[in-house]
Amino acid sequence: MRIVVCVKEVLDPDAVNNYALAGRLEIGDDGKSLTQAAIPRLMNGFDEQALEAALRIKDTGVECSITVVSAGPAPGDILKHAAALGADEVASIEVDPAALDAHVIASLLAGYIRTTGGADLVLCGRQASDDDQGVVPALVGEMLDLPIVTIARAVESGDGGWRVTRVTPDGDEVVAVTGGAVVTISNELGDPRYPTAASKIKARRVKPTVVAVSDLGLSADDSEPRVAFTKQFVPTIQGNCEFISGDSPAELADRLIARLREDSVI
Amino acid sequence: MSSNEVVVVTWGRGGEAFAGEVDDILTLGRGVAAATGGALNWLTLGPVSDTIRQTAGTYGVANIDHIEDAKLAEFSADATVAALAQYCEQHSPRVVLIAQGFDVRLVAPRLAAKVRAGVVMNAAAVEVDGGGKLSVTASAYGGDTRAVYEIAGERACVVSVLANAVLPEAADAATTPAVRDFAVDLAAVDERIQVLEKPKAEGPRLDAAEIIVSGGRGLGDAANYKLIEELAEALGGLPGASRPIVDDGWVDSSHQVGLTGTITRPGLYLAAGISGASQHMAGCSAAKTIVAINTDSDASIFRYARFGVIGDCLEILPELIRAAKS
Ligand SMILES: Cc1cc2nc3c(=O)[nH]c(=O)nc-3n(C[C@H](O)[C@H](O)[C@H](O)COP(=O)(O)OP(=O)(O)OC[C@H]3O[C@@H](n4cnc5c(N)ncnc54)[C@H](O)[C@@H]3O)c2cc1C
Ligand SMILES: Nc1ncnc2c1ncn2[C@@H]1O[C@H](COP(=O)(O)O)[C@@H](O)[C@H]1O
Repeated sequence: MRIVVCVKEVLDPDAVNNYALAGRLEIGDDGKSLTQAAIPRLMNGFDEQALEAALRIKDTGVECSITVVSAGPAPGDILKHAAALGADEVASIEVDPAALDAHVIASLLAGYIRTTGGADLVLCGRQASDDDQGVVPALVGEMLDLPIVTIARAVESGDGGWRVTRVTPDGDEVVAVTGGAVVTISNELGDPRYPTAASKIKARRVKPTVVAVSDLGLSADDSEPRVAFTKQFVPTIQGNCEFISGDSPAELADRLIARLREDSVI
Repeated sequence: MSSNEVVVVTWGRGGEAFAGEVDDILTLGRGVAAATGGALNWLTLGPVSDTIRQTAGTYGVANIDHIEDAKLAEFSADATVAALAQYCEQHSPRVVLIAQGFDVRLVAPRLAAKVRAGVVMNAAAVEVDGGGKLSVTASAYGGDTRAVYEIAGERACVVSVLANAVLPEAADAATTPAVRDFAVDLAAVDERIQVLEKPKAEGPRLDAAEIIVSGGRGLGDAANYKLIEELAEALGGLPGASRPIVDDGWVDSSHQVGLTGTITRPGLYLAAGISGASQHMAGCSAAKTIVAINTDSDASIFRYARFGVIGDCLEILPELIRAAKS
C-alpha cells in the first residue's frame, strides 16, 4: 500500500502575522512578494499534520510506504524534516511556484503520482497558510479521478478503503470510501510528533528524489496556468477603538454594559 | 470559450430563504455582469421559492435557472458537481459566483477542474477592466494580505466569495426574472463517499448567532472557559473560542471562530483574552461591534475593536456577567 503526502513550503505564518501587527509587512518591487528575508520558511502546518496522519496509519500496523512530495524551489529543510519524521521516500519537483497556479501545481502532483505507481491514499493539508486557497487537493483528486474527502481529523484504513472523520460546522461526520482517495487534513487531527535527535542526524544524509517535470507526461493544457498571481498588498485596518476607563473591574464592566445598551448593541 | 454571463449558484435548505446570504453576491454579480456586458442569472439546485423570486427581482437577476433531481435532494458532492458542470457546459458562464461555505470549499475547485475554469477562493472583489480582463482579489495569509489573481485569456472562473465582502445594494430597477428549468442527467452519478455517521447538530450554530462571547488563551485555564459560557448566556448569545484553546481541548471545535473555524457575522462579538491574529479575525471581523478585553494595550485585537477594556479578563468577566444580568 502506498500513501503519498503532498507538502508545501511556506513562510512562517506567525512571523508574517507579527510583521503585519507591527505595521512592517512590505511587498517587494515585483508587486507581489513579501520582502522580509528574516521570515523563516517551513512546512505548511496542515501538511505536517497530513504527514502525521500517514504515520499514525503506519503505527496501527498497516503495511505501507509513505512518500512525501513537494513542488517548489530546491527543497531545503522540509523534505529532510519529513524524512526525519519517518517518510520512506521524499521527492522534489523543482519549479518556481510563484509562476504557477493551483492547476499546474496539481497537474505536477497528479503526474508524479501517476508515473510513480499511483497511490492508495493521497494526503494533503486542508489549505496552504500562504495563499489560504485549499484547492490543490480537489484538483489532484479530479485529475486522478479519486474521491476527495476534505477537512479530516482522523483517517483509518478499513473495508478495502478508508474511514475518515470530517470536522463539519455541525460536528463530526464519519464517511467511508472504497479504493483510493484524496483526504485533506485539518488541525483538529492534533499535534504532529517531533523527530528524535537520532532520526534527525540520519535524515541529514537523505537525498530527495529529484523529479524532472518532463518525465511527468503533462499535456500542454496541464501546464498552462488558468490564473496568474499578479499582485499582493497589505490591507489597512482602520482602528477606532474607544477604551472604557474605570477604577475597578466592576466599574469597567458597568460602563461597558451601559455603553453597549446606549448603542443598542445589546 | 465562455459567454459574458455571470451566474450566482445556490443549493440546499429546500430552496428556502437564503436570508441575507445571497444579497451580497447578487450585488457583486450585477456589477460584474454590467462590466462584462452579459446577463446576471441565478442558478438554484432545488425548488424556486417565492423568496428566491423576490430576492432575484430586487437584485436585478435576468433569469432564475432551476435544476431539480432526486440525487440532489440531500447534499452529494459528486451529484452537485456533475449538475453544475452540465449547466456550465451548456451556458458557458464567464463567472460563477458562490458564497463560501463548508461544502463550497470542495465543490468550487472540483467544478473548476471539470469545466477547465480558473478558481479563486476567499474572494473579496471581482473586477473586469476595459479590455474584459477578469481579476479576483482574495484574502491571503489569513487576512494579513490580499492577493490579486488575473484570469488567463477568456477563461471562465469559479469564484468563492467571502461573507460580507460586498455591501448589498438593490438594483435601480427591479426585474421580473424568468424561471428556466434546466434538465440534468445524473443517471451515471454514484456518490463515492458514503456517510456512516451524520454530524449531530446541537442547538443553534455560531454562524447564525447575533451575539458571540469568545475566549482565548488569555483565559489561562480550561476551567475559566465557564466565564465565557456564563456571559454568553447572560447576553443571550453563544460561546466561541480561538483555535489554541480548541487545539488544547478546552472546548470542542464547533466553537472555533476564524479562518479555519466558523466565519461569523454577529451584531456583537466580545473577545476576552484573544490577541487578534489575522486568522482569528477572518472569522469575526464582519461583526457590527467588536469588544475586546485584553491585558496588553498593544494587542492587535484593539485595531479591530469598537470598544476596548484593558485589564484582566478573569476579573472583568465575572463583573460583566453581574452587570449583564442586572
Ligand atoms: C493557517 C492557520 C489557520 C488558523 N486558523 C485559526 C482560526 O480559525 N481561528 C483562530 O482563532 N486561530 C487560527 N489560527 C491561529 C492564530 O494565528 C493565532 O495563533 C490564534 O488565534 C491565537 O489565539 P489566542 O488569541 O487565543 O492566543 P494568543 O495569541 O496567545 O493571545 C492571548 C491573548 O490574551 C491576552 N491575555 C493574557 N492573559 C490575559 C488576561 N488575564 N486577561 C485578558 N487578556 C489576557 C494576551 O495579551 C494575548 O493578547 C490559525 C493559524 C494558522 C497558521
Ligand atoms: N507546491 C506544492 N507541493 C506539494 N503540495 C502542495 C503544493 N501546493 C499545495 N499543495 C498541497 O495542497 C494543499 C492545499 O494547498 P492550496 O490549495 O495551495 O491551499 C497543501 O496543504 C498541500 O498539501
